[in-house]
Amino acid sequence: MSEPTAYDPAHDYHALNAMLNLYDKNGKIQFDKDKQAEREYVTGEIAKRTITFPSTKERLNYLIENKYYEPEVFAQYSDEFLDRFYQHLEDKHFEFDTFLGAFKFYTSYALKTFDGKNYLEDFPQRAGAVALELASGDEKMALTVADAIINGSFQPATPTFLNLARAQRGEPVSCFLVRIEDNMESIARAINAALQLSKRGGGVALLLSNLRELGAPIKHIENQSSGVVPVMKLLEDSFSYANQLGARQGAGAVYLSAHHPDIMRFLDTKRENADEKIRIKSLSLGVVIPDITFELAKNHEKMALFSPYDVERVYGKPFADISVNDHYREMVADDRIRKTYIDAREFFMTLAEIQFESGYPYIVFEDTVNRANPIEGRIAMSNLCSEILQVQEPSSFNTDLTYSHVGRDISCNLGSLNIAKAMDAGLADTVRTAIRSLTAVSEHTSIDSVPSIRRANEEGHAIGLGQMNLHGFLAREGMMYGSPEALDFTNLYFMTVAYNAYKASHELAVERGKAFALFKTSAYAKPAGQGNYFDKYTDGTLTLEPQTQKVREVFEKFHVSLPTKQDWAELRDEILKDGIYNQNLQAVPPTGSISYINHSTSSIHPIVSKIEIRKEGKVGRVYYPAAYMTNDNLEYYADAYEIGWKAIIDTYAAATPHVDQGLSLTLFFPSTATTRDLNKAQIYAWRKGIKTLYYIRLRQQALSGTEVQGCVSCTL
Amino acid sequence: MVPPISVPRKPLKLIDRVSAINWNRLEDEKDLEVWDRLTGNFWLPEKVPVSNDIPSWQRLSEAEHTLTMRVFTGLTLLDTIQGTVGAVSLIPDALTPHEEAVYTNIAFMESVHAKSYSSIFSTLCSTKEIDAAFSWSEENEFLQKKAQIVLDYYEGDNPYKRKVASTLLESFLFYSGFYLPMYFSAHAKLTNTADVIRLIIRDEAVHGYYIGYKYQKGLEQLTQPERDSMQDYTYDLLNELYDNEEQYTTSLYSEVGLVEDVEKFLRYNANKALMNLGYPALFPAEATDVNPAILAALSPNADENHDFFSGSGSSYVMGKAVETDDDDWDF
Repeated sequence: MSEPTAYDPAHDYHALNAMLNLYDKNGKIQFDKDKQAEREYVTGEIAKRTITFPSTKERLNYLIENKYYEPEVFAQYSDEFLDRFYQHLEDKHFEFDTFLGAFKFYTSYALKTFDGKNYLEDFPQRAGAVALELASGDEKMALTVADAIINGSFQPATPTFLNLARAQRGEPVSCFLVRIEDNMESIARAINAALQLSKRGGGVALLLSNLRELGAPIKHIENQSSGVVPVMKLLEDSFSYANQLGARQGAGAVYLSAHHPDIMRFLDTKRENADEKIRIKSLSLGVVIPDITFELAKNHEKMALFSPYDVERVYGKPFADISVNDHYREMVADDRIRKTYIDAREFFMTLAEIQFESGYPYIVFEDTVNRANPIEGRIAMSNLCSEILQVQEPSSFNTDLTYSHVGRDISCNLGSLNIAKAMDAGLADTVRTAIRSLTAVSEHTSIDSVPSIRRANEEGHAIGLGQMNLHGFLAREGMMYGSPEALDFTNLYFMTVAYNAYKASHELAVERGKAFALFKTSAYAKPAGQGNYFDKYTDGTLTLEPQTQKVREVFEKFHVSLPTKQDWAELRDEILKDGIYNQNLQAVPPTGSISYINHSTSSIHPIVSKIEIRKEGKVGRVYYPAAYMTNDNLEYYADAYEIGWKAIIDTYAAATPHVDQGLSLTLFFPSTATTRDLNKAQIYAWRKGIKTLYYIRLRQQALSGTEVQGCVSCTL
Repeated sequence: MVPPISVPRKPLKLIDRVSAINWNRLEDEKDLEVWDRLTGNFWLPEKVPVSNDIPSWQRLSEAEHTLTMRVFTGLTLLDTIQGTVGAVSLIPDALTPHEEAVYTNIAFMESVHAKSYSSIFSTLCSTKEIDAAFSWSEENEFLQKKAQIVLDYYEGDNPYKRKVASTLLESFLFYSGFYLPMYFSAHAKLTNTADVIRLIIRDEAVHGYYIGYKYQKGLEQLTQPERDSMQDYTYDLLNELYDNEEQYTTSLYSEVGLVEDVEKFLRYNANKALMNLGYPALFPAEATDVNPAILAALSPNADENHDFFSGSGSSYVMGKAVETDDDDWDF
């Protein structure tokens, strides 16, 4: 509307894109219209607004002199190499597959002039700049990484892809997790962390479980504490303040133990009719549920909520560091600990009710997570996308807010493989490139504003390699999502990724001459057969070979070799000798934005719709076709609501044993589902060994008689 | 100080006697189906973080600001009529007690809609701007005329004409206003405001459908000549409203060059309203080829895949609580 009276829908790329969601006269999906929209956009408006330069040297000089690019990144390479490098990237003649891919890239990632009016980068140039920083002067690695990004086999997460090589930038790290202890200094530090880390563009999760409950004593005077809800309010406001430019508003999450006395008040903050004073709009919520809660519900028992204030005094440790599961009966019997009781089944029902109304909370299955954790220590929370699962250590503070002890908090930089493109490339090398790239991000990062995060990153170099485009790949290869073949593939694919990831991390430990700091006490360092992390690959617990002919053929077709028992045993022994460099290696994020650019289906989820309607602050309402879908293979593109929760959980259960951290798992329901259906799915997920559950998404069909005719996303 | 919008009207006698409503004895299954849908869709404007739209609002031009506020005051006026007069005036004509209950829900939600525009205003604009827009709405002859036409039927004594007027309001007259937020949203502007509007559209789609359905039910009790005269009346009224709506649209959208596109959208929705009333379309398909970006955005299905970090989406509903039983916990 910037040009009044000139509006013409026929040349409006938004209108062309929207035609994707309307069938043509023959009832076919108009994929070509979306591609037309992409061309119209990129060759029209974008080309018009892109500043071009006669040579790479002049371009880089301009960008460096005008403080767009970081000079150090480019100074590590010769002019001659840079010339050749950028020429190589340009010769690939990259085009986006979809309109949303292009639109998302140019609205959110491409470098723009400071006035926001012109573009200074296209996709290959962004990929190139990222690769040059990651490779730190290693020409071969720069080419390998840039090729992987442009070919689409590896895509760094948004903060990395957006920020690297820029002079004006945030942190390249996706996610931060910070504990809060039960004192005012720690709360103040947490708010500081929320402000500082949001300013730098990351999502921040905070742990509330240790905070004393509403009505708990302060300085031994009873009924003084206000509980967790006012702290949530403070955090919510901090997040919206620090992110006023709207890049990623309200990117914060809080986690609370299910056995914290404020748990119902915590959940009620997301009620449709909650009072404004306690209503939480943009903060994400997560609940940490131990096994005992399920046992109590099964036995129809009351569920005890324990005062964290008393627990800390009795055990001498913060509430989150106590296993509620192991100490439940003991704490119930202990009169020194104040308790309130709720009905366990009612708790689960309320949880599901709130999920209907808001999609929240996320769930962490505390005991599943801790049983699978190879690192010494406890995992008490997850992050904004519920895939990061790492140990922490409490910090303590002086009254002037300086640290008297710097504990360990969590940062995680992520990146995902496009399963289809990684298989095309033979998998092993792509995994290695990805692990090296992610490690480089960790090594280039120092979060000085939160010293506990800086410390853990220096000691552990934790990274999170993710995966996306599972559904796209399965459909392309003629497998139904959730079918026996698909589960067979998922299991073996993730096993092979794990093998190559550990191998790459071991190689890094050898090169750097050191393992991560907690290696010696980890399950990776235990003798074979005595609780070693890799025992499951050598003692027959896990299946290492294809169970179906189809999957055997798929791996053969792409020349991907599956690690054998022997391979695992050898790798285990090498690791026992030298260690691995990264404390954590894998985490499967939900992949929103990057899977649009990369034209993948999100994560390892099924598609949400054949034509997805994507709505975001920066792009508005846009339509997106599933990867590799044509009018001839629609039968492989059943959506998440049709596929149902069981197949999704089974798919995640096949991948979970090979992932040391977590996998974000969204469950999808029609709006006709009841809270009982949600509870059943949660029980099933817990029993299948799922570690965390992310959002609940609902789809409501229009009342018959009120729908828009001829709309692709409206038909089942 | 601008006086509040109020409409002079006669006191309305709702019903003569009251009998207890028994939802276990349904005379029309549709009543329960619609009741469940409407109550499941309950929402309040506070759930949508409209304040996330402030940066986007600030980037809009002066003309776009004025247009937006005028559109929304126009919608507020219609929702006020529908909430306090329209839906209530349908109660005396209800065929079943359950139908009465549905109208009370419709009336209440219309008031929620009217209030949600105020929420949007108070979040995005200054009091002075809001007052100016309200006084514009009171002085705009086309807006006042359409309000008057509809009000006259609500207060008339023909129950069928009331339903026709009500359906045309719900399924047709609102849409000249709905066009703008849908257009904005497709172009990445005011996306959270669009969420509020989409929630409203979700409701209005059901309202128009239900009232139209009840109208068709009612027609079954009439003689053929009476039915014919209702059909003639409907097309006459639609034509009258359409002519007025064209002028209203021009008065709103001419400055931003969208008049033609909005008119296609009007014709599309006019046909839709006729369909709800059980009548054939008035406008040929080629006159209703709505901008696909708007049409695709219009679907009342709650199926978009939104980004939780920048908005709350319009797809969440009140859950149906059902207790688990021992079999569910058998592990």
